[in-house]
Amino acid sequence: MSGVVLEGVRAHYGDTEVLRGIDLSVPAGELLVVLGPSGSGKSTLLRVVAGLEPLTAGRVRIGGRDVTGMRAGRRNVSMVFQSYALFPHLTVERNIAFGLEVRDVPKREAQQRSRAAAALVGCEPLLQRRPAQLSGGERQRVALARALVREPDVLLLDEPLSNLDAELRVQTRAELRSLHARVGGTMLHVTHDQVEALVLGDRVAVLRDGLIEQVGTPDEIWGSPATRFVARFVGTPAMNLLPADGPLRLPGVPAGRLEAGVRPEALVLGGEGLPARVELVEVVGGDAHVHLRADGLPLVARVPAAGRPSVGDIVHAAVHPDDVHLFDVDTGRRVRRA
Amino acid sequence: MRAPSERSQLALMVAPFVVGLVGLVLVPAAVTVGLSLTEYDLIRPAHWIGLANFTELFADGIFRIALVNSLVFAAVAVPLRLLGALALALLLHRRALGVGTARTAAVLPTAVPEIAYGLLWLWLLNPFYGPINLLLRVGGENGLTVLGRTPPQWLTDPTDARAAIVLMSLFTIGESFVVLLTARQSLPGEVYELAEVEDATGWDVFRRITLPLLAPVLILLLLRDTILSFQLSFTPSLVVTDGGPPPYATTYLSLFVYTNAFEYLRYGYAAAATAVMLALTACVVALQWLIVRHYRRAYVG
Repeated sequence: MSGVVLEGVRAHYGDTEVLRGIDLSVPAGELLVVLGPSGSGKSTLLRVVAGLEPLTAGRVRIGGRDVTGMRAGRRNVSMVFQSYALFPHLTVERNIAFGLEVRDVPKREAQQRSRAAAALVGCEPLLQRRPAQLSGGERQRVALARALVREPDVLLLDEPLSNLDAELRVQTRAELRSLHARVGGTMLHVTHDQVEALVLGDRVAVLRDGLIEQVGTPDEIWGSPATRFVARFVGTPAMNLLPADGPLRLPGVPAGRLEAGVRPEALVLGGEGLPARVELVEVVGGDAHVHLRADGLPLVARVPAAGRPSVGDIVHAAVHPDDVHLFDVDTGRRVRRA
Repeated sequence: MRAPSERSQLALMVAPFVVGLVGLVLVPAAVTVGLSLTEYDLIRPAHWIGLANFTELFADGIFRIALVNSLVFAAVAVPLRLLGALALALLLHRRALGVGTARTAAVLPTAVPEIAYGLLWLWLLNPFYGPINLLLRVGGENGLTVLGRTPPQWLTDPTDARAAIVLMSLFTIGESFVVLLTARQSLPGEVYELAEVEDATGWDVFRRITLPLLAPVLILLLLRDTILSFQLSFTPSLVVTDGGPPPYATTYLSLFVYTNAFEYLRYGYAAAATAVMLALTACVVALQWLIVRHYRRAYVG
């Protein structure tokens, strides 16, 4: 088991700089989720660790070993691709054993280890089938078993859940979490799904335009987002942002050009506070997203669907001061309250 | 007006193909089989002689030579052509400087009209001033190669002449090349990246990934080329070697048919030989169908 360290990593794709100086340290045994919108460079980050993408600057270390410039096959990492990249002409068993066969592991041993890996992810009954005969979820397990069979130093997962349907994704997410608890090992998991990131990660690194916005535990990412971008990217509906000296009249706001962020679930609709007109109500199961307009500013509140207001109602929106996040308008960075 | 049903629309769309298939393939094939049971010289009316043509054919030494020549040509030229096309496709599938020009160059010989291509080779293969033998004689003395051996006598030595026909066929691989190039380019990149992460290199990647993934296409091309090989040797053997050197070193089935029909005016006999070729081709097509079906089962499930 080995940690991963990236120091000042830069990478280009043609003329565009995709990674613009990444410093990241993943301790051994951690499951780190790299979260970001498409084009943020998160897949490139993973491919840089795998050795599939060259760097233009910086260093990559795996378990203290400098692997910058080392070819992918020598790094003892394994990867689960978004498409799973299974070989259609090989049975599940030989797909799993591929990395062992290439490395000339004796046939008996390769067979034993593939079976053990298959057992780990629960795809033993599929061993003699071919990929065309498997469902999406089964393919995903096979890809996972193939990645685990070599007992790599680092397991890299490139959006492995994005091709699964919603129900299976939730189930597989939980299995992945428990697999990490059982197997241990360092894992880097790339996703654009913020819920997946918060549920799965020991820590989450949020990426934007080739730079890391914040690295922290899911609680830190949710509870104290370091930038306006992180605040808006994590959470559905996205966090409300409004001028800090605006209509909410928040206490203890320091001077300067600041924005106040309030999560939709932190807005309390009741008898007192800022009067607002209900413009739209979306019911999402037990919750309702209530779109409001107050002093010309749009706001969204998330309230229990049972007592939800109707369109056209005038409600009063209030927020507890502790639930307000402050950001500098110019830098977008979080500002501590005085 | 009522819109035509889907069935009649489909029938309309497939009609040109059916007309072509019947008029250009099935009817001529039936006529050929019918003709093979007659004696016919274009002047006197055809008369029925039953299987006499076939009896004569299988006793005909020249036919046997032509049959063996055709089979040997297929056995040597087809794998070499496929290997060449595969090597070029794998070499030229990456983006690199000059790759477009190289791809064009690979396809170009296939686009040259066959007769012109044959005449070009008549010059290339000329034992005295042909560029091929000039090249082979570089560094040697007294018209010998650098190893002190006589350069191939392409047009006069039976074995060398057969080799020449094979050599000529090795450059008209444009179609297979294009098919393999697109097949290689449509293979998923992630599979190759996985191979990279798993430390599979060069030969391993080719043997374990590229070859099996291209296998369905390769087998189709192999069988298509085998069928084509009966025709492939025709123009070169007619234009360049004229079926010789004597007696029949480069007489292939197609040339045998041509000579009997258009020089000896034995249309019934030529039709019988054509029918044998047709039967051989049918066997190859049947094999092709079986193999394609097998792969479809294994891959698609």
